[in-house]
Amino acid sequence: MPYTKNYYGLLIILVLVMILMAFLNVSLGSVHIPLKDILSILIQQDVSDSSWTYIILEYRLPKVFTAILTGSGLAVSGLLMQTLFRNPLAGPYVLGLSSGASLGVAIMIMGAGLIGGTAATFLISKWSLVIASSIGSLMVLLAVLMASAKLRDTMAILIIGLMFASLTAAVVSVLAYFSPAAQLQQYIFWSFGSLGNLSWPEVGILSTFWFFGILLSIFCIKNLNTLLLGESYARSLGVKISTNRLLIIIATSLLAGSITAFAGPIAFVGLAVPHLIRQVIPTSDHKILLPAVILGGSILMLVCDIIAQVPGSEYTLPINAITSIIGAPVVIWLLIRKQKFIF
Amino acid sequence: MERVLILLIIVMFSSCKNEERHLSTSNNKGDTLTIEYAKGFSIIQFKGYKTLTVSNPWPNSDKNFTYLLVEKGTDIPENIDYDLKVEIPIQKIVVTSTTHIPSLEILDENETLVGFPGLNYISSEKIRTRISKNSVTELGENEAINTEVLISLQPDAVIGFAIDGNNKTFQTIQKSGIPVIYNGDWTEESPLGKAEWIKFFGALYNKDQQAEAYFNTIKNSYTEAKELAKNATSSPSVLSGSMYKDQWYVPYGNSWQAQFIKDANATYIYEDTNGNGSIALSFESVLDKSHNAEFWVAPGQFKTFEQLAETSAHYSQFKAVQDKKVFTYSNTLGSSGGVIYYELAPTRPDLVLKDLISIFHPELLPEHKTTFFKPLQ
Amino acid sequence: MSSNSVLKTNNLSVGYRTKSEVIRIAKNIDLNIAEGELVGLIGVNGVGKSTLLRSLSGVQPALEGEIQIMEKSLKEISPELLAQTISVVLTEQPISKNLSVSELIALGRQPYTNWIGTLSRNDKDKIQSALELVNIESLKHKRCFELSDGQLQKVLIGRALAQDTPLIILDEPTTHLDMYHQAYVLKLLKRLTTETNKSILFATHEINLALQLCDKMIVMDKKNVHIGTPNELIEQQVFSNIFPSDLIYFDKDSLSFKIKT
Repeated sequence: MPYTKNYYGLLIILVLVMILMAFLNVSLGSVHIPLKDILSILIQQDVSDSSWTYIILEYRLPKVFTAILTGSGLAVSGLLMQTLFRNPLAGPYVLGLSSGASLGVAIMIMGAGLIGGTAATFLISKWSLVIASSIGSLMVLLAVLMASAKLRDTMAILIIGLMFASLTAAVVSVLAYFSPAAQLQQYIFWSFGSLGNLSWPEVGILSTFWFFGILLSIFCIKNLNTLLLGESYARSLGVKISTNRLLIIIATSLLAGSITAFAGPIAFVGLAVPHLIRQVIPTSDHKILLPAVILGGSILMLVCDIIAQVPGSEYTLPINAITSIIGAPVVIWLLIRKQKFIF
Repeated sequence: MERVLILLIIVMFSSCKNEERHLSTSNNKGDTLTIEYAKGFSIIQFKGYKTLTVSNPWPNSDKNFTYLLVEKGTDIPENIDYDLKVEIPIQKIVVTSTTHIPSLEILDENETLVGFPGLNYISSEKIRTRISKNSVTELGENEAINTEVLISLQPDAVIGFAIDGNNKTFQTIQKSGIPVIYNGDWTEESPLGKAEWIKFFGALYNKDQQAEAYFNTIKNSYTEAKELAKNATSSPSVLSGSMYKDQWYVPYGNSWQAQFIKDANATYIYEDTNGNGSIALSFESVLDKSHNAEFWVAPGQFKTFEQLAETSAHYSQFKAVQDKKVFTYSNTLGSSGGVIYYELAPTRPDLVLKDLISIFHPELLPEHKTTFFKPLQ
Repeated sequence: MSSNSVLKTNNLSVGYRTKSEVIRIAKNIDLNIAEGELVGLIGVNGVGKSTLLRSLSGVQPALEGEIQIMEKSLKEISPELLAQTISVVLTEQPISKNLSVSELIALGRQPYTNWIGTLSRNDKDKIQSALELVNIESLKHKRCFELSDGQLQKVLIGRALAQDTPLIILDEPTTHLDMYHQAYVLKLLKRLTTETNKSILFATHEINLALQLCDKMIVMDKKNVHIGTPNELIEQQVFSNIFPSDLIYFDKDSLSFKIKT
């Protein structure tokens, strides 16, 4: 498409902002570490306080990467879903991925406790949570796809996904009702989302899923652009609708599913970032939108994480609260602007 | 003028202190029972009846509950203010927390327990025997107690505990005519204060002297241990609590758990904090402040070092983990899996203190076998 | 009259197949569209014009009979090749009105671009000529939500032109347009067939205009499908029988429908 040259400048600005935010994120946290020390730790020299080295290299740095992977992955998923369903309110979770994850984790934490009897002593390991979340997402996704396989209409998937979300929420609330306080608390903490819990090997695994998801999305760019005309026109232009739909759904599942498994359900980023980017870069060309959304999602997540760390204080806030506090007003603002709202 | 002012202030303070003990009675003839440490309840003995006032059933409550405990056959004067009347000594009781159980056993009133929510949590061996004979009925979980079954048991009283004043289950039970007496032992901040609630149960069973005698032995044992601890040559630094994801939950400095550490002559890293429950702190700040702590006690639900490592690699950064000086009560369980610490520790703070002293200063109590705290496996 | 057949049908029958029954909309259709022909499809609302167009463009399977595109059986043509053979202009609006005119027209080149959709020199030339053919070069930077209905219709036709297919199928391209623009669009279609030698098949309600411009016409009524030049169909009295005769009648002199007084 013509006129893309104008946007390369904006993309470069976004890259620079992202790098800046990443650096800020590493520098700011509950513990005040002077800039000089941060720089020398990052360039692999020894610093006097070994706990500082540990905090920077084993806690904050993996968190930066997690934030970038999470923010960009969710934003791309949101973009894919919004284009596929031609619905500005679609986000990465409309296929039921997050409700499936919640169900899997709820069964693991609360269900197992119920069966185990004196649940107070039951411990959940990190990996069982990741696996429970992934299996849950996968199951609900398959259920949604099977239920909508009979229907040719893409919109039907959206509605069925929402129905499954209600269904799983109901099951989770039944589990919660019978659960002892300790288990309930564990589940609720999982649902807050957390970026700081990944070790480097886990960041590596998340990166792998992220990589394949993004790769798949790149291959979908051409068809996503064609889908802007609607499915009938896209078909007349040679797009294989069902194959395309499947690829988009797989890409979304890889991204949003793995992110939810490792970092918990993180709200709003997927929904809000594509809209925010469209306001800054008013194009519909996915060749531009995709990288822009990757950068925008990373920036938003990094910023939210900086805020959540409440730098200088010993307290931290749950990341989900921050993303919602920033994301919800965006959605409201968009709806109010509907007169000029072009999607 | 200044001297008068100072005199006035002194008089006001001393009368304030006395007023607490006489809050709930209009009859001057009662004897107030001595309660030294507990702040949540008071008892006044009259002829044939007594008033039991619970003033702190839940944190920051603005409600007092006055219970009139009447011995069978006594007439009560008409001008007494009370919330509930209960006939004593109690023959059938339902309690709702394992912390209530040891008092029953100490006062030899095991046989009066007819129901409990969550039977598996109970560790007391004598009561487990009764449970295995089906003499104690299962009542469900605290927020969802099976009211029908409870009412059908027709206990003389239900000893409840509440997080706030909105427990509908208890309201339903009271409407059916069964008195619900709130026990606020868990809001006490001092170890001896919590233990003193045995006198609460003593009043219900009309065994006040027995309760007092037992408490005095505990008090003496505790105070001796505390004195002994003062002989230690150093005061090691201690960490408590555990992480969830990347947030660390530690007990407040003024909490019951922290008091023990202080009395055992050790330094609790967060002793300067104040509040109810636990604080959520960022992992970074806890690592920065406490990575050199010598001991780590009460690490949440963990039972083994393996579990620690599986949950988070960050734990290995702490000196206490590297030196394997981590002690937990989660490994000390009753026959049905209930944690004995939760049940017995409030009533036997002396044992807790001795445990901690033997951990922090092994030279002071070389022969002591710990009751609750065992090293992490 | 050129000889190459762009679209040919043999005993075609179109309709719907449900689990229990077969609904036949129209049958025995023998159609032949040659290069450069403008063919109008007429019929009352609901008679099945859209169904026929969908079957001819390959979206919906036919019930019986053969469809041949460029002498090849429709069923054997791959979706990619079909996209280079038939382009469509539909009644539905494109979903994203945020596209600029040139972006929308550029999407017509999708069957020819590489995996990520980069436009080659050739692609850009085709887009430019499409803009000129439908006379909207001055609008090329405007966004679609800023256009009037008539302008948008031209843009959609331009997109189909950019797709550079020998056959263009339009479903009611003149709905929502005022009389002037109706005439404009249909004249544009006529001009396109003579200038580019493409074949254009369109469904319309503007019988009066179609009669004056089309090389061939397809008239669908409840029982039959009549195909022929306008003159042939007039002689066969086809137009007199399309509508119920109580309100309007076909006037052979003026070649138009008039209201019965």
